[in-house]
Amino acid sequence: MTAAPAAALQADGVEVWLGRRAKSRILHGVGLTARSGEIVGLIGETGSGKTTLARAIVGLAPLHAGTVRVDGTPVDGLRGAALRRFRRSGRVQYVFQDPLRSLDPDVTVLDSVVEGLAIRGDGKAADRRARAVAALEQVGLDPALGDRLPGRLSGGQRQRVAIARALAVDPRVLLLDEPVSALDAANRNHVLRVLDRLRHEREVAIVMISHDLGSLAGIADRVVVLYRGEVVEEGPAARVLLEPEHPYTQRLVTSVPSIDGPRRPLITEGVHV
Amino acid sequence: MRALRLAVRLRPAKLALAVLGLVVVLMAVGDTIAPYDPLHQDTTAILAGPSAEHWLGTDYVGRDVLSRLLAGSRLSVVAAAEAVGLGLLLGVLPGLASVYFGRVFEWLSLRVMDGLMALPFIIFAIAVAALLGNGLHQAMFAVGVLLAPTFYRVTRAAAIGLRQAQYVEAGTLFGATRWRIVRTHVWQKVLPTVVVTTATAMAGALLVVSSLTFLGIGVQPPAPTWGGMLASDLGYLTQRPFGPVAPALLIIVTVAALNALADAIRDATGDGAPASAAPLHEEVPDAISAAVRR
Repeated sequence: MTAAPAAALQADGVEVWLGRRAKSRILHGVGLTARSGEIVGLIGETGSGKTTLARAIVGLAPLHAGTVRVDGTPVDGLRGAALRRFRRSGRVQYVFQDPLRSLDPDVTVLDSVVEGLAIRGDGKAADRRARAVAALEQVGLDPALGDRLPGRLSGGQRQRVAIARALAVDPRVLLLDEPVSALDAANRNHVLRVLDRLRHEREVAIVMISHDLGSLAGIADRVVVLYRGEVVEEGPAARVLLEPEHPYTQRLVTSVPSIDGPRRPLITEGVHV
Repeated sequence: MRALRLAVRLRPAKLALAVLGLVVVLMAVGDTIAPYDPLHQDTTAILAGPSAEHWLGTDYVGRDVLSRLLAGSRLSVVAAAEAVGLGLLLGVLPGLASVYFGRVFEWLSLRVMDGLMALPFIIFAIAVAALLGNGLHQAMFAVGVLLAPTFYRVTRAAAIGLRQAQYVEAGTLFGATRWRIVRTHVWQKVLPTVVVTTATAMAGALLVVSSLTFLGIGVQPPAPTWGGMLASDLGYLTQRPFGPVAPALLIIVTVAALNALADAIRDATGDGAPASAAPLHEEVPDAISAAVRR
């Protein structure tokens, strides 16, 4: 009998403090695992620590405690040249919540997508551009948009450019922060189809932060619920979203607006974690 | 760069560039096209008014004012450019480095700039001239060193806001070096501010060169400079009241053109910058387009 392969992404006991005192702690020993080809939904109210967790995993927020492993290799202790080397491998990619701010307004779409490949010196310039064009096509964008600046694209197009930029470097793990929250239904479905294809065709492990429980219900394998910096519930998406066990998750799920259901606002007072 | 391209399309910028272009031409060929040797003294025409022989008259030793103005352009502008160039080098690079190259360098550079800002300008220039000798380069060294904090502060202020920019973080996540981040994402954003400051500093330096020459620091007589001519003409106001007009006008027009250029760049990079005219639309599938047309 062979041992199960290591998870593509495994974060254990992640703690992030904003200051030096314990009361500035915003993540309390959070764990998150994503296997190859799996889509994990990360949900929770604003301020629950979802984005901070993603930023801590990719090294943009300093870890106070905890470990982050990619394919079984610890990456949280990497510094300097070793960290740059790991990042240039492109194995872990993070798509920011707001593509208008994460794409340089003075750099064309194609150059933005090429950036990751150029930094790690992949092939010749023409090859890099060809790969960037392929990434744009993969997310359903016309390569002719490559010469435009991000400010001349619609919100949906910009979001897809941000995803294409991450895909161009062939990641093993993809963390997306609210990738569909600002999109209309048609664009949202398009992005979700792209993610689903990535999971199946390239076995990418995907962590998707979202407020849109409906989108997660249709695509996520597992859902992790974060409340005030702690994981309060996790499990298969269908079970967590249809039969939530924790009171906070129950309120989160029932607060989703429904055209035929009663209006039930999310009230977190009195929820004991 | 886009901001600079937008700026040069504005009418005040075009006018300013035309004036500055003329000054550059004067600088390049001024001494060649001068009708007389700028040092030649015509003792028969001292403090003469404008005439067919001397269009702008002569000065207190009979030298042709037009020839001296033309020949003096190079020295005046080159001296100002030298000071601004040194200020740029000593201000912009440390300004960028203070944001992206560690806290130790940040602390050290801030303290050095604080020290330089505390120095009184004219006294420092005189001290440098006393220490290194009274010459143009020594005086411009002093001016350049004291311009550095201005460039340092504006560059640092423009760059520090970009340190937390998400596209900078995105580049960092790709494994970019700090140098690459500065080159690719920061420099373009900082450049318009630096250009505005350069134009303003150039105007200031031109006035400083004139002031120092006026005080006898830097360029020594009989070498012609705009400031030097202004200083010497002021001594003979009763005999030749219009004497200082020509050099003063040249200084004012050049400084005004530099300031107008700086204003135009600031306008182009500010909130009122023209927006792109491209329509924002998604690609619409043919079937939907056809249905809409029906």
